[in-house]
Amino acid sequence: MFDQSLQTDYAGTRGPLFWLALKTSTLTVLTLGIYRFWMKTRIRRYFWSAIRPGGIALEYSGTGVEKLMGFLVAVVVLAFYIGVFNLILMFLSFSLLNNNVVAYLASFVGLIPIYFYARYRARRYILARTRWRGIRFGAESAAWSYAWRAMLLWLATILSLGIYLPRQIFRLEKFRTDRTWYGQQKFCQTGNWKMLLRGARHYYIGLGLTITAGLGGFVNQSMLGLLVLSLPWLAIGFVHLRVTAFRRMTDAKRLGNDIGFCAHPRTGRVLGIYLLGYFLVGLCLVMSMVLLILIAVVVMVMLQSGALGYDSFGALFSGKGKSAEYLVYVGIALVYFGFFILLGVLRQVFVTLPMLRHYAETLEIRGGHHLATIRQRPRDEFSEAEGFAEALDIGAAI
Amino acid sequence: MTLFMDAEMPVFADFMDGDAAVVHRVRVALEDTESGKVVYLHLTEGEPVKWSVRDVRRLRDQAGRDAVTYGLAGEHPARLVVRDASLNAELGRLCPHLDRHNNTPHLMRRLVILSAAAIASVALIVFVLVPKLADQMAVLMPAKGEQALGDATFKQIREALAQNSTTQLKLCDAPEGKAALEKLVARLLPGTDFPYDIRLHVLDHKMVNAFALPGGHIVMFRGLLNEAQSAEEIAGILGHEMGHVEHRDPTRLALRSAGSVGVLGLLLGDFAGGAVVLFLTERLIQAKYSQGAEAASDEYAHALLAKAGLPSSRMGDFFRRLGKKDKDNSLLSHLASHPDPVARIAAADAANTVADDYERVLDDQEWQALKGICN
Repeated sequence: MFDQSLQTDYAGTRGPLFWLALKTSTLTVLTLGIYRFWMKTRIRRYFWSAIRPGGIALEYSGTGVEKLMGFLVAVVVLAFYIGVFNLILMFLSFSLLNNNVVAYLASFVGLIPIYFYARYRARRYILARTRWRGIRFGAESAAWSYAWRAMLLWLATILSLGIYLPRQIFRLEKFRTDRTWYGQQKFCQTGNWKMLLRGARHYYIGLGLTITAGLGGFVNQSMLGLLVLSLPWLAIGFVHLRVTAFRRMTDAKRLGNDIGFCAHPRTGRVLGIYLLGYFLVGLCLVMSMVLLILIAVVVMVMLQSGALGYDSFGALFSGKGKSAEYLVYVGIALVYFGFFILLGVLRQVFVTLPMLRHYAETLEIRGGHHLATIRQRPRDEFSEAEGFAEALDIGAAI
Repeated sequence: MTLFMDAEMPVFADFMDGDAAVVHRVRVALEDTESGKVVYLHLTEGEPVKWSVRDVRRLRDQAGRDAVTYGLAGEHPARLVVRDASLNAELGRLCPHLDRHNNTPHLMRRLVILSAAAIASVALIVFVLVPKLADQMAVLMPAKGEQALGDATFKQIREALAQNSTTQLKLCDAPEGKAALEKLVARLLPGTDFPYDIRLHVLDHKMVNAFALPGGHIVMFRGLLNEAQSAEEIAGILGHEMGHVEHRDPTRLALRSAGSVGVLGLLLGDFAGGAVVLFLTERLIQAKYSQGAEAASDEYAHALLAKAGLPSSRMGDFFRRLGKKDKDNSLLSHLASHPDPVARIAAADAANTVADDYERVLDDQEWQALKGICN
């Protein structure tokens, strides 16, 4: 049989996403944040349905209700943990050591395992609510062992001043992939960490220069000037490492024995999307803020001249009008919330959307005819959804 | 009867049965049967799949208008992807509940119960558990620990109130003023046994307020000295703050907020402006808890004044005047955390046991020196 290769189409467009994001995030603010679970659900539905491997869109089947419920459960658990734990830490820290540095530190360290735990659980939830060709994805429950591994690997990365990073990336990705399912077929991460080294060389150069500059700075202050060169190199090298690691590791993933993948996102494109995206976000924000201020000025001038027919508002500048004062507060609130809403919406439109487009359009599935043998898996109830990640604000872009 | 598209103009769509990851090319036909209108999906072989139009649902928030994905009511994973615009229009016309997505009615009851339980347990943690624990710990905390906590907080407050972020708010320490202040404290305090020294500070700020911090810090603002018309009024306010020190209220409060701020941050999450709401909520919780503490400190102050042979009615005078003057918001913050001023004034007047010919706490010159401590 021929090796059937499935290309991925992308159907997302800025306009519909902009209105969806604007509507849902306005509702989120109006409901004091409660609507955010439905906002996330709806935005994900949009993004998932935009990605069409082999012409069939992914489907996101999560619901806002289950997210809210998961959040409530997580809040109760975490409220107890954080409230009592922080209090005891604060007490011990001041009683025994007469300062609060240890308390803050311990409070932070105590959250690290929960952070990784929550990350894994959130990923499992998202996979359990993702379908393609009517078949569910899934992940095994391994959140605590993931948290444990992730902490050790991160510790190794930090102690090695970042040298260990490629190996850490590979081992965590392998841990996750080897526990991921599509229907009743398991994914497998083949290859090894050394295949990431080629894409890591700019990262290592940047890292080496930065460490040299840092150590040299102790001897001679002027060595610190090297940071101007080394930090951008490190940052771009890091992005390059992430992009090439994604490429290599995706190419080395297998679904069962016969289905493979091929990804070719490009670092230049990813960087370009970031730079252009954030430039456009900034530009739109500045323009809309200028527009808002202009409107405010016009309204104020009209009020003062009594053009709108409210005499009491005219008293704004004489300091007598109470209603005029409230109008100013309302205006300030509008600008404040408007800024944050717009920031989030524009980021989805100008950064997340083109980034997903690039990653989607450069993804191929090899051996697609073998998919026919893959059967459905049972529904993973997972009633806590991504509650822990949500409660801890572990920011996923979508 | 065929409602749409006969065999001569077949319309095809992609069908996935929700059991295998296969995309079936199916011919779609809409027919009227005795059990109502039905969508027939003809596979290349075998019996056609029948979807009653009442069960057909259209997926929501889908990207791209070229293809519409349909499913069935409930959790069934079978999907139909239609790219033919006229078929999509026809389905839209014939399927009555296309956009009815009430797939979680059974969850609603659980949601209500869970919300109530969650609110109750978080309230229990924030309003009962954390304060109870904080109360216990405040008593257990060694004096040195309390002092360290107070020092750290005092520094934070001075930095927060400073004009620019690099400096601290100025401490007022004109020598004559300090001497007057010490005399005042000495009159109030003989025989009172604190685990640590009272450390009295005047900060150069126009706010009309005073407060106590853990470890015996008592802080007054210049605005308070300006507002007061006699040293006895200041003595009353100092007595009140000493009451807080004696009851270890500031330590309690600091421990409480260490516990509850994190919890509230969790609840309010990351929506825009969350920080503002967090601050206000925290204030409200503290306010609710401090009312009792404020009344207790007032009583403590009355007793302290009586022992020092000073009238507690001067304290009442101060609140009376402040209440009259207060046309703007400067008292608003005070009101939230303190008992009703009318009740406070009445309590101060009622507690007074000292006749009007008492020995003044400071002479006029000393009083002026105290008022000028920031110069």
